Order: sequence, then structure tokens, then C-alpha cells
Amino acid sequence: MTTTMSVLIVDDDPALLQALPQALRLRMGGVTVETADSAAAALERIAVQDYDAVVTDIKMPGMDGLALLAEIRTRRPDTPTLIITGHGENELVVRALRGGACDFIQKPIDRGYFVAALYRAIRAHALNRKVKERQLALESCAEELERLVQKLERQPRAVPGPAE
Amino acid sequence: MPETATEQRQAAIADPGAAGAAEHRLRAHVETLERRLRKRDEQRRAMLHIMGDLSEFNKRLANQRKAMLHVLADYEQDRRRLARQTERLDSSRRALLHILQDSHQDKLRLEASRKAMIHIMGDLRETTAEMQRREQELRDKQEQLVQAGKLATLGELTTGVAHELNNPLNNIGLFVGNAVDLIELAVTEKEQIVGELDHAMQQVSKATEIISHLRTFGRAAPVSREPTSLRDAIERALSLMREQLRLRDIEVTVDLGAEDPVVVGNAIQLEQVFINLLTNARDAVAESPRKQIRIAAAAGGGAVEVSLADSGHGIPPGLERRIFDPFFTTKEVGKGTGLGLSITYGIINEHGGTISVVSPPGEGATFFIHLPLAPPDPEETDP
Repeated sequence: MTTTMSVLIVDDDPALLQALPQALRLRMGGVTVETADSAAAALERIAVQDYDAVVTDIKMPGMDGLALLAEIRTRRPDTPTLIITGHGENELVVRALRGGACDFIQKPIDRGYFVAALYRAIRAHALNRKVKERQLALESCAEELERLVQKLERQPRAVPGPAE
Repeated sequence: MPETATEQRQAAIADPGAAGAAEHRLRAHVETLERRLRKRDEQRRAMLHIMGDLSEFNKRLANQRKAMLHVLADYEQDRRRLARQTERLDSSRRALLHILQDSHQDKLRLEASRKAMIHIMGDLRETTAEMQRREQELRDKQEQLVQAGKLATLGELTTGVAHELNNPLNNIGLFVGNAVDLIELAVTEKEQIVGELDHAMQQVSKATEIISHLRTFGRAAPVSREPTSLRDAIERALSLMREQLRLRDIEVTVDLGAEDPVVVGNAIQLEQVFINLLTNARDAVAESPRKQIRIAAAAGGGAVEVSLADSGHGIPPGLERRIFDPFFTTKEVGKGTGLGLSITYGIINEHGGTISVVSPPGEGATFFIHLPLAPPDPEETDP
């Protein structure tokens, strides 16, 4: 797991953009929190940086959380996205989960739950990334091995093996 | 006598001495006779006079008889005339009798009518009392209706308001939680903790503002009338609606001009008018590509005209009048009560104003409200 985690929080409420990053900094050591006050601003940030997780409010003027989620799924399919919803907005929660949200957090936000959910998402993301890296490494190893095998097969039997 | 005179003459012949005496006696006798003759003559003449007088009298009598005959004839005529008059009088009397009888009957009828009238008056008094009771009931009901109307308006606002309250509450939880964390982590910088708590306080006052506004709006208070700023009413309505309008990307422009139109009215009710119209406009523009609400006001000629225009789908032709009817709604079942615009209409009417709507085909609807301006405050107009 990487030591510095980067998280992007998207909400149209400036007070929340003050409170939530502070809560994360206090509860999660070594986290870098960035904020965006609209979905459009969030997409600009995502274009230049690969975050470990994105947390977005669902109700926002302009592009809302669900639309942002869909955009993230196409531009950064690996980035886990968490959705903040109002209490009891079950229909929206279901739509968000179907849309590919990694998890949902209901307002009023329980910090313990939020941090746990975020950790889980980030860890899953990190593990996914590791799995992919290992897979890539394995694939390259396999390719290397294949090449070696081919090379060996092409060589004439000039060097007899000890067994022969 | 003659015998005596003869005897005397014979005696006078027989006795010449005696003849003188006899002559004397004769003479005396003749004188007596002559006297008597004169007397008789006088008497005859007197008789003749009397006869003449009598004849005269007789003539006069005859004349008088003739006159009497005339008189009699006149009398007869008079008598006939009188008889005729008597007859006429009699018929008049009979007619009079009839009239009297009629008038008596009329009087009886009048009496009956008077009695009926008294009954009616009694009934009327009862009816009036009933009417007064009903009126009081109606007033009570009207106050209840005003309250119900406000609650209906509040009901339409609830979702947006709940969202608006949820945000500051959520932020308070986070700020206070941060402060707790800082204390638990034994952070020595007090400013950081105080900063978190200050932020929490700001959110508390934001929530309090919303709650107190809702409480003022929903409180069952007697509907008082006082000079009220129309600008304030519109601003307060917008403050309740702002979050909902913002989240729906609805652009609101308000142009009330330089002056602040003041009307005599109830601040809460006027706010209610604009909440209802804004709610209506909010739903009208929901499906529109360009979501816009424009509020404008122009004062002049002792009245102010406020217009609220939306860029929505407009009102289908023929429904412009019906939209103010209670329970009339074009929204889906469960989306609208159909009371908003009828409450608005009632409030504007009570304020001596008018409300109308114009919705040209293919354009949004524009509501026009005319309200009489409050008479200028003498203290304010004094330089």
C-alpha cells in the first residue's frame, strides 16, 4: 500500500469542503485531500491526476454526482468513487451503486464509517493496482520464458545434455 | 111712517093751526130722510170703495195664485231634481257602503298581513342570528383555511428545506467531530480547535435561520395588516426556495427597480404568494432546456405591478382561468395539491389586488400581480 494516499472530495457546499478534508487529515495519516466545488472542476482535476479515491455529493447544480460518476467510470475506470447521499434517498443509492459507485455514505456523515469505507475503497484500489502490476510482471515473465524456450528450441543439439 | 106722514098732512088740512105744526114735523122728517139718504149714499160709496178694494185684492190674489202656480211648478221641478239627487245620493251611498266594506276587508287583510309580517320579522330575526353565527363560523373557517394554506405551501417546500437543514447539521457533526479528534490527539494549538468550533457555530446559526423562518411562516397568527416591503417578501420567499432552485439549475433574476414598493398587507401572506408562484415556476421549467425565472416590479399611479415570468412549458390554452381554481392541477397525482395558485389568488384578492396570467403559445407563463401601494408615510416624506 502506498504511504501517501490522494483523495478528491467534490461538493457544492464550501463548509463541507472545509470540514471533511480536515476530518480525513485527522483520522487518516498521510492522506492528501483535494477539493472541487463542482463536477466540472472535479473532471479537470481527474484529467491531470490519478486519485486513490473520489468522494462526491450526489445533489449538485449543473452536472450532478451520478453524471460525474459515469464520467469517472469512462475516464478513470479504476478510480473508486464514493457517493454522498441524503438520508433515506435509497433510490439514488441504488442508482449510484448500479452506476459503478464503490460505496455510499449517507448524510449526516459518520466519520468512523466514512473513514472505514474510504480505507476499504483505497485498499481495494491499491490491491487491484498491485494485482494488475503483478499480473503485468507475470505476463512479462511468461513472455520472457516463452522467448527463452523458443530460443532454446531453435538451437541445434550441439551441446549434448548430460543426460544424453 | 108714510102712514104717519099722511095722517099728519090730513091732520094739518083738518086743522090749519095744526097744519104748521104738521109741516114742521114734515120738514124735520124730510131732513131726517135726507140725512139718512146721504148717509146711505156715503155707505154706498164706502161700499163701492170696499168693492173696488176687494176687486183689487181679488186681482192681486189671482196674481198671487198665478205666482203660486209658478212657484208650485218650480217646486215640482225642484222636487223632481231632489228625487233624482236622492237617487244619486242613494247609489253613492250604496257605492260608499261597498267601498267601506272593501276597506274593511282591506283592513282585515292588512291586519292579517301585519300578523304575517310579525311572524316574518321573527323569522328574520332568527335568520339574522343564524346568519351571524354562520358568518362567525365562516371567519373561523377562513382563518383555518389560511393556516391550512400555509401548511400546504410548507408541505410543498418540505423536501427542499429538509435538504437545506441536513447540510448544516452534517457540517456541524463534522466540525465538532474534528474538534473532538484534535482534543483527543492532544493538539496544543488552541486556535485550531476554536476554529473548528467557530465553523460549527456558523452552521448552527445557518440552521437556526432556516428553522426560525419556517416557524414564523407556519405559526397560526392573526392576519394583521401593516406597511410591508414587497422587496423583503420576495427576498424571504427566495431565501426559502434558493437551495431548490440552485440544485435544479434554475436561474432567477430579480429586477425591482431602484425604489422599494411598500404595500399594506401581511408580510407572511405576501411571502406565501411568492413561494407559491416560485414553486409553480420551479415545476414549470423542470423539463425546459433553459430554466429561467424573472421577477420584475414597476410602481406607478398608486399601484405596483409585479411580474413573474418562467421559461417553462406554459399553460395550455383555455386553462388560464381554471388554474386559480382550488384543487385544479396539471401536475401528476401526488406532485401538487392544486391549492397553491388558488391560495395565491385568495391572498391577492384580500389585499385589494388582482392576479392574472398570460401564456402565449410556445412561451412560458407570466403572472402579473397588481397591488395598491401603501399611502406615503408623512414622516418619511417630510424633508
